[in-house]
Amino acid sequence: MKTNRRDFLSILAANVAMTGLASGVRAQTGAAPRVVVIGGGTGGCTAAKYLKIENPNLHVTVVEPNRQIYRCWGSNEVITGHISIDDITETHDALRDRYGIDFIYDRAIAADPVARTFTLAGGDVLSYDRAVVSVGVDFKMDAVEGYDQAAADGPIPHAYKAGEQTLRLKSQIEAMPEGGTMVIVPPPNPYRCPPGPYERASLVAEYFLWANPTGKVLILDLKDKFTKDQPFMLGWNRLYGFNIPMEKMSGMPADVRTYDTPGRIEWVSGSNGGRVVSMDPGNMELTIEAGETIRADVINYIPPQRANTFAFDMDLTDGDWCPIDAETMESTRHPGIHLIGDMTIAGAMPKSGYSANTQAKIAAAQIARLLSGETLIEPTWSNACFSRVSNQYGVSIADQYRLDRENNTIVKTPGAGGISSLNATHQVNRMEAFYQAAWMENFEADVFE
Amino acid sequence: MSRTLLGALIALFGTPVAAEDALLGETLANTCAGCHGTMGVPAVPYIPPLAGLTNEEFIRAMEAYQDGTRQATMMNRIAPAFSDEEIKAMADYFAALPRPDVTRSTIRNRPGN
Repeated sequence: MKTNRRDFLSILAANVAMTGLASGVRAQTGAAPRVVVIGGGTGGCTAAKYLKIENPNLHVTVVEPNRQIYRCWGSNEVITGHISIDDITETHDALRDRYGIDFIYDRAIAADPVARTFTLAGGDVLSYDRAVVSVGVDFKMDAVEGYDQAAADGPIPHAYKAGEQTLRLKSQIEAMPEGGTMVIVPPPNPYRCPPGPYERASLVAEYFLWANPTGKVLILDLKDKFTKDQPFMLGWNRLYGFNIPMEKMSGMPADVRTYDTPGRIEWVSGSNGGRVVSMDPGNMELTIEAGETIRADVINYIPPQRANTFAFDMDLTDGDWCPIDAETMESTRHPGIHLIGDMTIAGAMPKSGYSANTQAKIAAAQIARLLSGETLIEPTWSNACFSRVSNQYGVSIADQYRLDRENNTIVKTPGAGGISSLNATHQVNRMEAFYQAAWMENFEADVFE
Repeated sequence: MSRTLLGALIALFGTPVAAEDALLGETLANTCAGCHGTMGVPAVPYIPPLAGLTNEEFIRAMEAYQDGTRQATMMNRIAPAFSDEEIKAMADYFAALPRPDVTRSTIRNRPGN
């Protein structure tokens, strides 16, 4: 009977928004359990929304410093002008108005996991029965000689947290001299949005086709492989004169071409000495492991990453990232605090917005059951991610994930998932670009509306 | 929940499916929502609504994605992840939801623009 009731509440949650029945439902029970969510981005917003869908009686408060946030997914399209910064700017109005979620615009500065409280910079102390922390990543600013915070704030934007950084990189690319070179330096694994640097290279190369026809994108990588590398490289070969390295030729279709002169995208792998060992921001120069010093007109160095500083301050980390109990997504260091998104160690799942979104739903479902004393659900997660190789050419990855209870980790469901086929027709590549655009709308709504 | 409200919901959505089944279906279905929309209702219909599909429609589509008789961009990779029992549970979950009328057609950065 209890479970039936919750199923109805789940259905009801969608309807309270339309009919305004929320207060009537809330009045049915006594003291509402309190859930505090730290972070109003992709993970935090999804968690807050699905907590209210699970149980509209819960009192859900989100603590977030910014009234407007810039989502990272879609930000590569801002850099190349396909969409504007307004298109990736999100508010919390819909979540507040439709689901009755409280938002406090402040910064959490301390946690007491025993008393179950958070202290905010403004002085408020929030008590919780259960908490969700979803605060993403911060950068390691000292990994390469010559690079520091001043470089990131000045000549070398990472544009890997969206907003001002995104717009600065955009204006640098627009101001590039004819025939100039943009260098992209992807970070070491693990990092947020694994295809992000490579989609960025693709879209900038596409922008150069008409804005700077002799302009070039040079990727200096410390890795030998990256997500969807073959579908990306096939697209680059077809669109941007990219020569596919021999070791990536396995399974490539017959239309792959070899170009006499390098095209708009070049990729130097780790094995070929692509690792950047030092930088001179003043002269816009990078020196790579191969020994060469390269001068660039735009440098987009994306620093190595770790969990957000807040997670270290709250003692939620082990090494660079946050360990969790995979079944509940609860911190193994501090019970009662559930951790989701890019900051967590989530087994086989990539650090993506979609991962954070499905992790948030599992955390929400388990929190609702832990608070009511009901049996936990058997969790499942998914990740689906489209990248634009050009405006009209998309590639994707999709995987479903399960709990490996024995090893307390999250594993890929075998026999399923994977990346776009190298034998996809032109029509399918085009459809994947179209679905990327449609996905962006639907995903935005699932997170923020 | 009041009996009146419960009655109204049953009238709206039909007799509740078995509790265990619904729970599993909801958990699995939430993994679809990032593309197909919250509770199977997307903002734009190009990735189609799942809410309100009949059991038969949903199961037939998933089986066709599994065996390749229906070709898609991504679903042929996703459908094999689920057992028959799981597909049935998702089908029951979506069939119990009202079929939405999704008419918004504007999407940003549509290919070709």
